[in-house]
Amino acid sequence: MEVSFTVNGKPTQVEIDPAETLLSTLRDRLRLTGTKEGCSEGECGACTVLVDGRPVDSCIYATGAAAGRAVETVEGMARDELGRALQEAFVAAGGVQCGFCTPGFVTTLVSVLRENEHPSEDELRTALAGNICRCTGYSQILDAVAATVAGRAAR
Amino acid sequence: MEMELRTVDSLDAALDVLADRGADCQVLAGGTDVMIQLARGEIAPAVLLHVENVPELQGVSANGATRIGSLVTHRALAKGLLGPRYRALAEAAGTVGGLQTQSVGTLGGNVCNASPAADTLPALLVHDAQVALRGRAGSRTVPLEEFVVGRRATTRRPDELLTEIVLATPPECTGDVYLKVGRRSAMEVAIVGLAMRLTFDGDDVTDARIALAAVGPRPLRSPAAEAALIGSRLEPRAIETAVDAVLRDISPIDDLRGSADYRRRVVPGLLERAAGICAQRAGRTPEHEE
Repeated sequence: MEVSFTVNGKPTQVEIDPAETLLSTLRDRLRLTGTKEGCSEGECGACTVLVDGRPVDSCIYATGAAAGRAVETVEGMARDELGRALQEAFVAAGGVQCGFCTPGFVTTLVSVLRENEHPSEDELRTALAGNICRCTGYSQILDAVAATVAGRAAR
Repeated sequence: MEMELRTVDSLDAALDVLADRGADCQVLAGGTDVMIQLARGEIAPAVLLHVENVPELQGVSANGATRIGSLVTHRALAKGLLGPRYRALAEAAGTVGGLQTQSVGTLGGNVCNASPAADTLPALLVHDAQVALRGRAGSRTVPLEEFVVGRRATTRRPDELLTEIVLATPPECTGDVYLKVGRRSAMEVAIVGLAMRLTFDGDDVTDARIALAAVGPRPLRSPAAEAALIGSRLEPRAIETAVDAVLRDISPIDDLRGSADYRRRVVPGLLERAAGICAQRAGRTPEHEE
């Protein structure tokens, strides 16, 4: 079957299997390999992308369900002002070690910070409960968010 | 045989497909359970009926009873869509997976999936939830207790779609809560989930509801425990009697997340804490800490 949606703003049509996951479509058909496959069961958040601005685990999201919607991946975050600021803050704060979880964290955080410019640390920790990082211990990631929030406030 | 994905944009269209091929259909909303079951080979439907765009299943109406569209997401509930009288449901929805699951996972999906550990079910049970079902042959409304009948088993007929979850309006001086035991508060299947709703007249409990998840094949209420609290002032003896009643009603098993023995051991603490929080939220005993 054929599905049409936008990916990072670009109108996209793609031929898919009916039960295909958005993760598989993005990586294997559209060659957008920034989105990572971790657990494949909606537990780890490595594959997080935004669908109409909402963070979803693309490993358990049907591509067919994205028809007519706007999909944003980490590749798009590089062209998004907030996304770019977050990525730079991750690097500066040491929030990236092996880097496998980073695309999922960045996309999740973009959705969180678009909705709430000044989340409390508690709100942030809750919002990130679906993203697992096995390197940083999360502190550097929270530091990166704090720096991003402060940077936006300073502008 | 190749699976087929059918996306429908209206309730009529959904009911037509179900009338025609209901037995071959798996309804797909946010997909957070269905897509995993597909990947594991646990289900192999001929048709995936994608209902996420059906407008009639969205939103909440509070004209008398509170009617929650089956597509309302956990995220919307967790953010307090229903207001302070249904805090148990907001708390339960806020512990279903992480933000990614809550963003697209739906209340109707959690009900129809009928997991023994479903977080929202105890919270719905303490609010006398009923589910509204529609099919080409007609509509019916059934108590949630009679709808979820076993592990992953409901009385939904193949041609029916769950359209709404209907909650009774709680009386004045009522407090409710959902508490979950898990290794983490979110992103964790409950080891035990407990919802409670208490109504007071002065210090006296006049109505009590207690429901638990992950302690048997399906979430259940404990009428004997409720009876033990009604007429009490939550004195230790009443709590103990209620705990004993719950422990008689449940049938926990050993699994990856916890042993049956552990599940029994956490019940007393959970029940006592829940009672204190309900009392506080009902405006009683402000000395209790949440």
